Amino acid sequence: MEAIIHNLKLSWFSIKRAPLPYALTLLILSLGLGTFFSNATLYYWMNRDPIPEKSQTLFMARINSLPGDCTDCLEPSRVMSYMDMQKMSGSGITSAEAAMFSSDAYAKTLENQQATPAKVALRITQRDFFALFNVPFLYGEAWPDNKARMEVVISKNTAVKFFGRIDVVGQDMLLDDQLFKVIGVLDDWSMLPRLYDVNGRRSAEPTEDIYMPLETAYDLAIQSNTQNSFTDVDWDGNIATYPHMARTNFANMLQFWVQLDGPEKIQQYQQFLKNMVADEKAAGRHPRPEGNRLDNILDVQKAMRATNDQLDAFALVASLFLLVCVVNASHLSLNRYMANQYEFSLRRALGASRWQLQGQILADVFVSSALAFVAALLFARLGLWTINALLPGTRALASWDWQMLAVMAVFVSLVSYLVTLYPALKTSFSPLNQQLKQ
Amino acid sequence: MIKINNLSKIFRTDLIETHALRQINLQVNEGEFAALTGPSGSGKSTLLNVLGTLESFDEGDYLLDGRSVKGLSDRELSALRNEKIGFIFQGFNLIKDFSLFDNIELPLRYRGFSSAERKRRVEHALETVGLAARRDYHPSQLSGGQQQRVAIARAIAGEPRILLADEPTGNLDSLMARQVMELLEKINQQGCTILMVTHDPDQARRANRHIQIVDGQLNDATLYEPLIAAGA
Repeated sequence: MEAIIHNLKLSWFSIKRAPLPYALTLLILSLGLGTFFSNATLYYWMNRDPIPEKSQTLFMARINSLPGDCTDCLEPSRVMSYMDMQKMSGSGITSAEAAMFSSDAYAKTLENQQATPAKVALRITQRDFFALFNVPFLYGEAWPDNKARMEVVISKNTAVKFFGRIDVVGQDMLLDDQLFKVIGVLDDWSMLPRLYDVNGRRSAEPTEDIYMPLETAYDLAIQSNTQNSFTDVDWDGNIATYPHMARTNFANMLQFWVQLDGPEKIQQYQQFLKNMVADEKAAGRHPRPEGNRLDNILDVQKAMRATNDQLDAFALVASLFLLVCVVNASHLSLNRYMANQYEFSLRRALGASRWQLQGQILADVFVSSALAFVAALLFARLGLWTINALLPGTRALASWDWQMLAVMAVFVSLVSYLVTLYPALKTSFSPLNQQLKQ
Repeated sequence: MIKINNLSKIFRTDLIETHALRQINLQVNEGEFAALTGPSGSGKSTLLNVLGTLESFDEGDYLLDGRSVKGLSDRELSALRNEKIGFIFQGFNLIKDFSLFDNIELPLRYRGFSSAERKRRVEHALETVGLAARRDYHPSQLSGGQQQRVAIARAIAGEPRILLADEPTGNLDSLMARQVMELLEKINQQGCTILMVTHDPDQARRANRHIQIVDGQLNDATLYEPLIAAGA
């Protein structure tokens, strides 16, 4: 411990001797690291497995069910009709299954009817959604079945925003002037990337504010705000007939997720889809080539990453910028060490081995790392703020958890050591007599 | 104590080779106070650096206390310097940010002494050089002569077998130089072997042995005769 304090003291003396070059070295290094961390933060959130315990058992099921004869259309659509979803449900093979789409509405509470309604993000879904994606409840519970009901589950933040408290089960709220009862409040929960929603590159957005039963949404003619595909079935435009029309093959806007526990279940469900599609074709529907897909979370993530190649370009630029900064910082560091070479030589003459000099070099690295870490986080925060301002869809990707901070701290230490390594080696191996003679 | 046999040192650049030391043979016995003189560029500092293991050599052998330093690792050479050799430089080579105490303590840290042992040795060394009251001063607060005394205190704090002094009075006026010489004589009388490079013939005469080096060679056959005893 005494030796560590001694070496830290030496480091401090070294900084005091030439504070400006030291500050410049730190500035350059921190700038490179900060830029790199900004990008790495986005990269990390976009590439992480949001639900590792289920990444092999959750599947987005798709079939090539869109109308219109097209022999080249092998890739199934991301969305399907209500009727197809019904046929894919209730197989008895899945552990859980839920259809869903996203929408939005304007909400306010009965207690504060005069207030201007606030826009909220809706997830229109079924009961098993919460079980599928391990969504935790703080109060209340999900709907008992998939029937239509004027009941919603809301997030904790939404409860606080509209009611000023979190235990609001049993309270009423208005969504687009329709009265709903709150039956559940979710605990803090976010799924990043939000891979259950594959439409519209919205995987970087936060999880929704309010969860509404699918059948209710159909009854209220609520549509998807990301992807709708309407067939050319005649519709008179009467909103009263929309619920019936939407439940036919008229509207394709549903994504369907299933949980299949094990290879056997997967195979059974694939066979189930195959049989179902064969029946549909026999009945004159599903004219396109068969294209049944079961994409697990990692497949979905991979597909979404492929559409987000801007992130790779940013990553490359940030890495090259860091490299330039490291080289420059190392050069400045070399100048500092050369200026202090006399002292290193003196220590060697007085009996310090090169290994003992490493103690001081490590102390230098420690001090530099600590300062560079703080400065790099500030620059990274600034970088993220800028990116968020330019690309609002990335706002949910700007946070750091303890694991990320720990990795960043280790990375800063390694880079700081790299910056110090060449100057330190050069100083340690320089001829002793020349310096001491001066 | 020191024995070198046929030792040669060559400095090489891309264009030229300079033979700094040529086939030197020398023996320094325990308790001697030897002055090493010679014209500029004759190789005296190089010889001192080789003896202090600050410089390697190309040919021959160097035995310190009967042990060859040839082929020793960096760690072994460092330990050798730390335990057996004390250095006194013309430019004092004190660390200006350190107090006198810290400067003198530095080599003792590398030796692995406990804090209490370091304190005892530093205080004793400061007393020996007459600067005990100024242990918390910094080098810049001292005169040149006092700084050289601090450097001597640092050199003797580890109780080395030999002191290698490279023109220790070169930067001092005559009064301070005399004080430093008196101090070195006192240390020598306590049993420490001293090998001192100097340009000053008066100082060389105060040593009990005078070694001359010219063009990298010890060319005086009377090397081993104590000049003072001979009345030189």
